[in-house]
Amino acid sequence: MQELLRVEEVSKSFPGVRALDQVSLTVNGGEVRGLVGENGAGKSTLIKIITGAYEKDSGKIYFMGKEIKKNDPITSIQLGIFAVYQDVMIAPDVSIAENFFLGSHPGRFGVVNWKKMRNDAKKFLDEIGLNVDVRLDIKNLSLAQKEMVTIAKVLLRNPKLIIFDEPTAVLTDNEKKLLFTLIRKLKDNGAGVIYISHNLEEVFEICDTVTILKDGKLVGTYKVQEIEKVENLIPLMVGRKIEDMYFKQVVEKGPELLKVEELNGSRFKDVSFVLHSGEILGFYGLAGAGRTEIARAIFGADKILSGSIFVNGHRVTIRNPKDAINLGIGYLPEDRRLQGIFPPQNVEFNIDIVNYRDLLRRFMFFVDHRKARHLSSDLVEKLSIKTPGIGYPIYQLSGGNQQKVVLARWLSRFAKILILDEPTNGIDVGAKAEIYRFISEVVKQSKSVIFISSYLPELIGICDRILVISNGKIAGELSRGEFSEERLLALAMKYAMKKEDVA
Amino acid sequence: MKGKASSNKRTVLGEKNLLIIFAVLVVLLIFATKGTFLSFGNITNLLRQTSINGVVALAMLFVIVTGGIDLSVGAVVGLSGMVFAMLTSSRLNYQFSSTAAVVIALVVSVMVGAVNGAAVYDLKVPPFIATLGVMTFVRGLVMYISSGRMITGIPSNFVSFSSETLLDMPKLVWLWLVTALIVGLSLKYTRFGRNLYALGSNREAARLSGLNMRLNYYGAYAVSGLLSGLAGIMLASRLAAGVPTAGQGYELDAIASVVIGGASLNGGVGTALGAVIGALLIQTLRNGGNLLGVDPFIMQMAIGLIIVVAVFFDQYVKAGRR
Repeated sequence: MQELLRVEEVSKSFPGVRALDQVSLTVNGGEVRGLVGENGAGKSTLIKIITGAYEKDSGKIYFMGKEIKKNDPITSIQLGIFAVYQDVMIAPDVSIAENFFLGSHPGRFGVVNWKKMRNDAKKFLDEIGLNVDVRLDIKNLSLAQKEMVTIAKVLLRNPKLIIFDEPTAVLTDNEKKLLFTLIRKLKDNGAGVIYISHNLEEVFEICDTVTILKDGKLVGTYKVQEIEKVENLIPLMVGRKIEDMYFKQVVEKGPELLKVEELNGSRFKDVSFVLHSGEILGFYGLAGAGRTEIARAIFGADKILSGSIFVNGHRVTIRNPKDAINLGIGYLPEDRRLQGIFPPQNVEFNIDIVNYRDLLRRFMFFVDHRKARHLSSDLVEKLSIKTPGIGYPIYQLSGGNQQKVVLARWLSRFAKILILDEPTNGIDVGAKAEIYRFISEVVKQSKSVIFISSYLPELIGICDRILVISNGKIAGELSRGEFSEERLLALAMKYAMKKEDVA
Repeated sequence: MKGKASSNKRTVLGEKNLLIIFAVLVVLLIFATKGTFLSFGNITNLLRQTSINGVVALAMLFVIVTGGIDLSVGAVVGLSGMVFAMLTSSRLNYQFSSTAAVVIALVVSVMVGAVNGAAVYDLKVPPFIATLGVMTFVRGLVMYISSGRMITGIPSNFVSFSSETLLDMPKLVWLWLVTALIVGLSLKYTRFGRNLYALGSNREAARLSGLNMRLNYYGAYAVSGLLSGLAGIMLASRLAAGVPTAGQGYELDAIASVVIGGASLNGGVGTALGAVIGALLIQTLRNGGNLLGVDPFIMQMAIGLIIVVAVFFDQYVKAGRR
């Protein structure tokens, strides 16, 4: 196999942090290389240096035998290096077809040939097996579809080295299969692939070799067969063994906190279920099955067409999130970046914003700032959020820490029913384990949790019951003794559309 | 890794850069004017000149923090002054007292703000367009009620307010600074203020955090109306008349002041202190130019450049930190 990329002793520092310390690695053509490590291990920094988004402080990078002396995003793309990032960034108000040809619209004399553009895009998508209307605007697609389109866009440009950063976080199993097929095809064509994921099972499934980073240093590069199984990889990444990843405590089931009857919305039908205090109820389903929509409707973020909701046995009307919060419901949204964080604000603000109602001075409408600071610094400590201080801007924290901040918001006393929508999306193993631990702490305080996830092992690991949603309807409910991946998956497909397209 | 909070680094730094620019400018002017700039008379004059625009900048700040913009502030300045002048002059059958007229003018201003809020929140018209429409409407309204003429004959005790001083400082300046203090405290320490930053930082996250969206949007625009109305009354006192074109172009000065003061037009960032210094900076340039006998037209060109350079410098320093 031919050497494609060689990174030699590359270092990079940011004020106060040595993000990469003399890291070297070689990727050959036709190789799928896993890149793993905890958040903050330096994976993203390394990728950004390879794609030219950051400048390295020292070290050398060779691509196809030639040294890249001065790298920047344009140079790396010209060389054939592409990256698909976690935060999918494509022009939202533009159709899929046009997104494919942004900057190189087909046509003559500056007049766009729309028909040719659509046909070319359609033909290409058919070839790779992605079935979606190319005339749709990007903003109308689901997160998973957006990502597949982004990947397709990269494939269109004949990449030599393609880097996937946490690509399956939002994908359903079918899309994941499609992605893996694409990766194998790339590999057969002699392209190199760097695959970053916190999902180690996937790394084992798709990668030939795996490079482990820890605290900016190279731990080593191994053949996947050498490592044999996931359990052997984790200690290398974290430097310790994680006991009981899925921490499950037995909590006595208390009174009924939430009851939903015959709830109908635009994307779901006749949803009924109950939730008791001390319970963790899982919502499982393929992406787009309506899990998020049901949660949003209960929280008042989307309209309810009909049906009733009971909180503590009383029938309630929830017109907006404010009503829901006043009833003690909290919601951690699916998309942290777009719906969760307040990017320009600091950690304190991001935690306190839903809690100001409890932080007012008596007889005045001023916020009690000492109390507010206490609340946020206590929670920062309790959740071991890694931040230089509560005055630090949230956008500068790692994804896992941002997620913990958003979670912290709801951990104050008033949220009795906590709805968590994909809370462990794109965060590292250590942070995941901490979040599971927290959820079990929460239900111990006679609260309850609805846990929405596409990742079966975690649902099976921590839930008391799992509600499976298929195409907007409840396909079944399993209690802890009955959990198995096969049964859950089968239920999830129960009402699935005949043709399993990406829609 | 845990440490004491260093409050909001981003805005503090923004103000620090701004203070550096401001200090350099002042030192230069002191030398260039051989000390005249620093004379007590000139300083109070400078502050007086800034006070009215300074209040309008504070009005603008409320809306810019939410990620919107209020182009109607200048028109509301004109409307409020005109309403006041008409109520107190002998134009109408009934002559109002100054106090009653002030209250009515402010109520009218708040109503204009509420209309902005309704257009932006309920009709979902983008703030730029909504307030552009309201601005045009209000300008027309002022012309219509005054028949395009100046209204004189407002009470003399009211007119003298603008030249009175308290502790050797013009009352107009006190009014501005006290307003700035109240605005600063409200933005930083009240739930309403915090909510406005949340709206401007991430609208959807704000909604999902249970904010009362309508109340906060209406609130931001209503406060903007209220403060613009206040500035209108201050201006009427200074001009000793209701002038139909009063406040024209103030919206642009206000935007410039707020942005120079470190606020982001994307919302979520901006402080009262920044808006105060931003307004001072623009007026200092004008004042300094005047003292040095610079052609006022050239001065205007220079101010245009400074707006861009100041914001560029601020962003450059911030980027260097990352």
